[in-house]
Amino acid sequence: VTPGRVEDLLRELAPQVLGALARRHGQFDQCEDAVQEALLAAAVQWPAEGLPRNPAAWLTTVAQRSLVDHRRSDGARRRREEALAALEVRTGPAAADPGGDGPGHGASGTDDTLTLFFLCCHPSLPPRSQLALTLRAVGGLTTAEIAAAFLVPPGTMARRIHRAKQGIRDAGTTFTLPAPADRAARLDVVRQALYLMFNEGYTASSGAALQRPDLTAEAIRLTRLLRRAAPQDGETGGLLALMLLTDARRAARTDAHGAIVPLADQRRDLWDRDDVAEGLALLHRTLGAGPVGPFQVQAAIAAVHAEATDAAATDWPQILALYDVLTHVAPGPLVTLSRAVALAMVHGPRAGLAVVGTLDDAARTAHTHRVAAVRAHLLELAGDADGARRAYLTAARRTASLPEQRYLRMRAAALRAAPGG
Amino acid sequence: VKYLIMMFGCAGQEMQTRSPEWIAGMGTLMQTLEAEMREAGELVSSVGLVDPSAAVTVRPDAGTPVTVDGPFAEIKESLAGYWVVEADQQRAVEIASRVVEYVGHPMEVRRLMHEGTPSEA
Repeated sequence: VTPGRVEDLLRELAPQVLGALARRHGQFDQCEDAVQEALLAAAVQWPAEGLPRNPAAWLTTVAQRSLVDHRRSDGARRRREEALAALEVRTGPAAADPGGDGPGHGASGTDDTLTLFFLCCHPSLPPRSQLALTLRAVGGLTTAEIAAAFLVPPGTMARRIHRAKQGIRDAGTTFTLPAPADRAARLDVVRQALYLMFNEGYTASSGAALQRPDLTAEAIRLTRLLRRAAPQDGETGGLLALMLLTDARRAARTDAHGAIVPLADQRRDLWDRDDVAEGLALLHRTLGAGPVGPFQVQAAIAAVHAEATDAAATDWPQILALYDVLTHVAPGPLVTLSRAVALAMVHGPRAGLAVVGTLDDAARTAHTHRVAAVRAHLLELAGDADGARRAYLTAARRTASLPEQRYLRMRAAALRAAPGG
Repeated sequence: VKYLIMMFGCAGQEMQTRSPEWIAGMGTLMQTLEAEMREAGELVSSVGLVDPSAAVTVRPDAGTPVTVDGPFAEIKESLAGYWVVEADQQRAVEIASRVVEYVGHPMEVRRLMHEGTPSEA
């Protein structure tokens, strides 16, 4: 077996093994450490010695042994003996019997995955910690890989993950699915975390960040996993469709020098057809099957772009109508800004500028570079080259993204080079 | 030995008066240099800061810290970004020279202090 194949298998098995272990023993934090140790052992042994007959059972056994070792070294003799007794009673058959109630088989495996998502994305944790923990416990990434993905030193990430696990323990959470009445709200938090993970990868997937492990791909993989665990949830389907339709544009988003190419100028033949097809199919299955939420609407907007053969063929009235829906279900300054652009494409740039003008001071302050960038774009469409140039430069001074700053300065410079155009 | 190579706000201001081609060339130069340093294992860190005009400065006011909008130094003298490189001074100066040649504004190269005690020999 190749190391790559082993890695894929380990990442697939990680949440199943952890789920099974945590379900049996509780103590999520200890189980998680133990599973990481088992994953590391497998990553070393399997490529050299070949796959064990039942990889999941192998991992479970090694993780259990590690769990016991740690409890022993903790020195809590009485607790250790109780744990050992419980282990012997409860785990014997599963570890030995590949066909039995092992990890990943049947409904319990699916529920375990969902439970893990809920646990890692516990509402008491800050979003960044939810992400990190999800990548480790559900994604099966090592702390070093997660640290590299977020461009922080491994020690920093190890402490963040450790604190996150402490937070879960302090919240008194057990390894069980939340009550059905709470699940919708908890699922919202999980989806937000996955969306944040996707954006983290998507906005940084150029230039110097090329060497980062691909967070975007990981977010899509995990969202697929979540969808498998919660197939009836329309917003999860919507989120996955949104990710696929957005990620499809990846190759067209930057040019050979890593410079940003705006949607209108992208070469649509570079968009990934398989991703587009899958995203569209998924969205058609999801829309209308339940209540419509913001992810489904955003996916629908991405779908309208995907269905246009070129920028000029974009069905802007349809996009505007969808932004009206989005304004209704999830209003916010960023939605208002995007709607202003759609409105400008349907009713002219001045109509769009009027909407930008309705943003209150708080929204302007919180999103100053986006407001300036949209204003600049609309002023340019309106033929006000000087106003557009100044707004582009304001946006360039306010953005924290280097490629975006370069792009905005280029737009400003282009207007200086061709005054009035 | 590690060196800090600093770029200042005047370089950012320069962008406002240049052509799109010049700005594109600047981006390419920075990426080429970074790739070269990374390849050679010289690049310890690469940090770009948001525009100096977005800085706030904390100043003492009769013993009480107060926050004032804007950078400490003048915008053109404010730090805009830096590289930390593992290299000798000659190489650090060479890297800075390639940027200065293009941008036409000064950069500063300075050695980092370390926590080891000097050898007695």
